[in-house]
Amino acid sequence: MDLAPVLNGFTVVLEPTNLLYCLIGVVVGMLVGVLPGLGPAATIAILLPITIGLEPVTSVIMLAGIFYGAQYGGTITSVLLKLPGEASSVVTVFDGHALARQGKAGTALGIAAIGSFIGGTISIVALSFLAPVVASFALDFGPPEYTALALLGILLVATVSSGSRLKAIVAACIGLLLATVGRDAFTGGERFTFGNLNLADGLDFVPIAMGLFGLGEILYNLEERHTSVQAPAKVANVWPSRRDLRQSSGAIGRGSVLGFVLGILPGGGATLSSLAAYAVEKKRSKTPERFGKGAVEGVAGPETANNAAATSSFIPLLTLGIPANATMAVIFGALLIAGVPPGPRLVTDEPELFWGVVNSMYIGNILLLIMSIPLVGLFVKILRVRPAILAPITVLITLIGVYTVNNSTFDILLVIVFGVLGYLMKKVGFDPGPLLLAFVLGTLLEDSLRRSLLIFDGDALGFFGRPISGTLLVAFLLVAFLPLIGKALPRRRPAEHPSDTKELV
Amino acid sequence: MTTNHRARRWAATGAGLALAVSLAACGGNVGGGGSDAEGEEFPGGDPITMFVGQDPGGSTDLIARAAAEILSDELGVAVTVENKPGANGALAAQELAGEEPDGHTLMVYNGSLAYITPLASEDAPDIADFDIVTGLSLDDYVLVTAPDSGFSTVEDLAAAGRPITFGTTGVGTGSQLSQELLFAQADIDATAVPFDGGSPTLTAVLGGQVDVGSIQLGEAIEQIGAGELTPIVTFAEERPSYLPDTPTAVEAGYDVPVQQSRAVFAPKGVPDDVMQTLRDAFQTAFEDEGYQQFNEDNLLTPNELDGEEIRENWTENLEKYRAVVEEYSIDLGGE
Repeated sequence: MDLAPVLNGFTVVLEPTNLLYCLIGVVVGMLVGVLPGLGPAATIAILLPITIGLEPVTSVIMLAGIFYGAQYGGTITSVLLKLPGEASSVVTVFDGHALARQGKAGTALGIAAIGSFIGGTISIVALSFLAPVVASFALDFGPPEYTALALLGILLVATVSSGSRLKAIVAACIGLLLATVGRDAFTGGERFTFGNLNLADGLDFVPIAMGLFGLGEILYNLEERHTSVQAPAKVANVWPSRRDLRQSSGAIGRGSVLGFVLGILPGGGATLSSLAAYAVEKKRSKTPERFGKGAVEGVAGPETANNAAATSSFIPLLTLGIPANATMAVIFGALLIAGVPPGPRLVTDEPELFWGVVNSMYIGNILLLIMSIPLVGLFVKILRVRPAILAPITVLITLIGVYTVNNSTFDILLVIVFGVLGYLMKKVGFDPGPLLLAFVLGTLLEDSLRRSLLIFDGDALGFFGRPISGTLLVAFLLVAFLPLIGKALPRRRPAEHPSDTKELV
Repeated sequence: MTTNHRARRWAATGAGLALAVSLAACGGNVGGGGSDAEGEEFPGGDPITMFVGQDPGGSTDLIARAAAEILSDELGVAVTVENKPGANGALAAQELAGEEPDGHTLMVYNGSLAYITPLASEDAPDIADFDIVTGLSLDDYVLVTAPDSGFSTVEDLAAAGRPITFGTTGVGTGSQLSQELLFAQADIDATAVPFDGGSPTLTAVLGGQVDVGSIQLGEAIEQIGAGELTPIVTFAEERPSYLPDTPTAVEAGYDVPVQQSRAVFAPKGVPDDVMQTLRDAFQTAFEDEGYQQFNEDNLLTPNELDGEEIRENWTENLEKYRAVVEEYSIDLGGE
């Protein structure tokens, strides 16, 4: 492969501005990782407007830093306070906090930081090789392929996401419905616009993301009474012993691969891969009874996997323009704001952006490794900031911010409406993620399907006549119907792993 | 914040809102003088806002920013570009119509919104509701195909012996109109496949997803130069200087000149002296070398006509297109 653009990417990262924004990104990411409630998707959504006026590459470098930085930060509170700062660090609580109670908090944090670093780095290297390969097929991705991919994506998001499957499907369907609002791109007919020109181009993605994730999360968190934070366990001796390292080396290796693969899949991402990695480690272990009582592998595996996944979930976004999870959907919005349409030509047309972002992750990971260990105490202090102070400030930033994106007061209204919706959804146990993803993919699905049928002259079987769309559709049918077939057949293996992950949550 | 109390009527609707507005406005009002323009000579130190009905980064946005820059230099006040994307620019036009006609709010208006969108949609704005300051430039459409499609002339397409698929940059665009007219006149059986803008259309043609597509010259020139796309015809009146070897559709025997044209609009009722000041300022500013270079870099043909000539041209275009569309019973909106 041609190395020149890769090296150029490094020159892009090493520009002082970009370095600075990379640092800002990972610090902010680490902070929101520590703060329970406010996740990376919410933070990125709230910060979208400040990326206006930044170079596209700078803005994505910063936002990506928030995403993988949060994976590091979430670990700290999981281990020290038994309070997962991030959904992807929930499983770390089991063994991480157990280790902390045994006075080995330093070991747990050290292993998590090292595992995160290795997982992240392996994933970047793999991304560097795989993404251009995917991108080289990009021109073969026509409307039929996008149709199949969007279908598969929506299905996986609805079925794989954490929480109730039925609720996820309901949320995804609402997202699909919202995507139909606006002027029909093929006939010019108005749909659900009620004669309002603000709705003529459909609902804008940014206010929906900022409302659902940003405002909704803030409202929801306000309601939770934060019990006074217990005194964190003492951190001593952050360098794990040689024995700990040996014990977790396998877990780190497996976590990297697992995280990388699950991160690429639509609907996958950091949370799912950390759950899966924990399940794998427990299953492989000769002494599974140690898990939950302070097994280092139980920290190393999931923490490695969530970082690997955070990195690899950039592949579908940057090569095909398809966001694999809710956070990627928000970064998708950032690219749109920056005037860079995410799509198959991004790698060839904007090599500096692509390689700049990819290579910034090396730097970001090193920064995080350096910061995460000595600054632990400082980050724990952040937890003392009262939500009563944090929340109003964030709400104000959100509302002002959304106005600046399109200079539209209508968008402020949208944020409020979707903020309330997001709050209600969380309250009754609906994950807003599938809604947002289905909203993004819904437009793609509808437009691609109709384009394909125009190209095929109305023959729906045409989808199976093309290798890529055919394969994807077969995969779609498998994912959709295999569970049903599995139910119908008598069970041969009682311990199937999906049920295994369920009981962990 | 003294400059803002006048600029936005709805600023008083809420404290948060007002803050948002002030913040956004502060971002651009670098040279805001602070006093009201009334009674003083235009522009009186107050900034000018220029609406753009498209997203930042697109060709209309770039043109507006270039025009804003030279106008600002010429008049000595800040000229802020404000993007209000939506409905092909109709949203921004609607907002412009409601602004004070004091010369402080302008808009870069796309010709397609004036003479193509009305053919596809009933609620397109009417240019009679606006004052037109000056024309800016013309952008050409070119019909392109992937080299391995084997097509290089309109005759090749007619002789394909199968229905042709053609990519358009959207419903009610010049890209769609130009191809519909061409294929109707050449009696080619063809299906329109609308994409969402120039870049996706280009990708689809490059990948052979559709047989041909009509794209703005500036967006396709790089691939044409690299041999990744074969130009078949341009839809210009005369061969654009940037693509001298490609015949126009008119030369190829089809009467379908379709161009994107851009002009500066103002709300109706701008006082004559203000209008004259603006027009003079633009005419002087067009001499700017940086601006001319900008046009050349973006393959734009200057079309710096007087506002009234633009109105005549665009009205004529609308009538002409309406007639041919009826003649060949082309339905830009329907399936």
